[in-house]
Amino acid sequence: MAVKTKARGPSALARGEERTALFLLIPSFVIIAVVALYPLGRVVMSSFTNERFAAGAELRGGQFIGLENYRQLLSMTLRTVPQRLDADDQPMFEDGRPVYVNPRLFLRGLDTPRTYDAVSVFDLFGNRYVLGASSARFIRAVWDTLVFTVTSVALETLLGMIIALTLTAKFIGRGVMRAAMLVPWAIITVVSARIWEWMLQPTRAGFFNAFLSDLGLIDESIAFFQTAALQVPAMVMIDVWKTTPFMALLLLAGLSTIPTELYEAAEVDGANPVRRFFSITLPLLTPTLAVALIFRTLDALRVFDLFQVVYGEARYSMASYAYYQLIAARNVGMSSAASVVIFVIIFTFAILYIRALGVERDD
Amino acid sequence: MIGKIFFWILIIAIFIYLIFPFYWALISALKTQAELIRTPATYWPENPTLRNFEAVFQNPGFIRGLGNSVIVAGAVTVLSLVVGSFAGFALGKLRFRGRSPSLYVILAMTMFPQIAVLAGLYAVIRLLGMPALPSLVLSYMIFTLPFTVWVLTAFFKGLPISLLQSAQVDGASTFQTFTKILLPLTAPALVTTGLLAFIQAWNEYLFALTFTSIAPGARTVPVAMALFSGQVAREEPFGEIMAGAIVVTVPLIALVLIFQNRIVAGLTAGAVKG
Repeated sequence: MAVKTKARGPSALARGEERTALFLLIPSFVIIAVVALYPLGRVVMSSFTNERFAAGAELRGGQFIGLENYRQLLSMTLRTVPQRLDADDQPMFEDGRPVYVNPRLFLRGLDTPRTYDAVSVFDLFGNRYVLGASSARFIRAVWDTLVFTVTSVALETLLGMIIALTLTAKFIGRGVMRAAMLVPWAIITVVSARIWEWMLQPTRAGFFNAFLSDLGLIDESIAFFQTAALQVPAMVMIDVWKTTPFMALLLLAGLSTIPTELYEAAEVDGANPVRRFFSITLPLLTPTLAVALIFRTLDALRVFDLFQVVYGEARYSMASYAYYQLIAARNVGMSSAASVVIFVIIFTFAILYIRALGVERDD
Repeated sequence: MIGKIFFWILIIAIFIYLIFPFYWALISALKTQAELIRTPATYWPENPTLRNFEAVFQNPGFIRGLGNSVIVAGAVTVLSLVVGSFAGFALGKLRFRGRSPSLYVILAMTMFPQIAVLAGLYAVIRLLGMPALPSLVLSYMIFTLPFTVWVLTAFFKGLPISLLQSAQVDGASTFQTFTKILLPLTAPALVTTGLLAFIQAWNEYLFALTFTSIAPGARTVPVAMALFSGQVAREEPFGEIMAGAIVVTVPLIALVLIFQNRIVAGLTAGAVKG
């Protein structure tokens, strides 16, 4: 018996193990194929077609149109805006400043195969330029999402670091603070969007306008969601509140792995707290920080809930643009192309992060 | 001394920052309609009333949303734990060819933006002819499964290999070893990952909004909260919305506070070594 087992046991066992492993992995792979790989493949395919939803959500069309969706989505042009001419065909000036034609109308009047809408207008070296795009709203959505991502992740990291460093101290009520940190995290994103929507009301019925005017900081109520310049910052504000706790928790866990002897030794050597932070805390926290940054950046790039709930179609994030192309415009092909562009952007970020930070992670 | 005062000011400021929106939602929910639209806003309800809560509980869309969310999030939790523990055991404890590629494929799903598969997933669901609720359960696997597999794989890896070997010597099959011996030991990890899967599913909005657009009866809590409308369509009924916000948030906060150590452990799993 024992001899027999020795003779063929291990390989039979190994084979049995292999079979069991494959059997156990089948459900996962079937699910991945059905909910991720096939849908992604299908999205890539239909991004090259003019597929549309007809009434009743039937798919229709689906002729191959090559890169047309991508061209429509990404075509841009940078033009110099001409000066307005007076009756004698001389460039017009007002108070010594050149008078330009309306950049929007100028773009419309161009003799190009595509019509362009203005994304942004800026002055540089005495000329006025206009950046036009055939899908100006998509380009703006990409830009807004990038601005949203960079500012909210930066603020979350900073605030999260402050909170984490504060909570490493031992004090009465530390447990309460740790519990309080989980509150924003536990609130559904849609719900926190609605709570902040209510707090940021454009009248003094909203908390912020009431509070700021009580402090005497503002004379007139601020329309946070209706003022173009404040629309993205308002989103950042909500997102930072909601996700800073996650950042702080990760950093707190990272901080707890740093041996206290290091700080004691540094203190003996006379290093001040700032020095200790930069030469001990930060380097040892880098792996944790890297992972937290990757998680949060990839998450922020796919922001949908906040923009969709608060702005609907008034201002898009990348994801809400693709959503409305699919659901409201019923333009499956175009929505798919936008999705692929989003996927590529997110993937690029992931690769860049892993390249930049991954090396240190491995040792 | 000054340092100490500064420290406590900081602590209190952080506490207020974290809690204040929840407080504002709560007091708004307790205000009368007249007080809600008064300017400037009051910082404390003058005549606290439960009228907004009554209205919320009489709102059929909201109640159905709660029911749907419980069903969907519950089913997602069970399905991802079953499927995830199978995969976690295989990847964490068994030796077979293609182990690390398998782990990478599953992990790569974490990077998938939901929007990138939305249109394709819609087509799959129509192809399978699935009703809205099961289709939500299936599609939520895209974000709960990778995480569950990741945490459980790490957990299984940490269990001593001798357990597996001695069970095999006793004549147990690999699968029996898994269900009878290892699975009970993973109970803590199952609770953690189950909670996180439940919360993620409870939170999800994009798929829910899309797949219930032609089946309003299947709307979940986030969709119901986003589309919340009161009896009078003229103005957004923020009092009721805030009451709804409190109703859907309090059970979750309770859950999170009861299991806070497990949740923190789960959230930081993989991010911190050791």
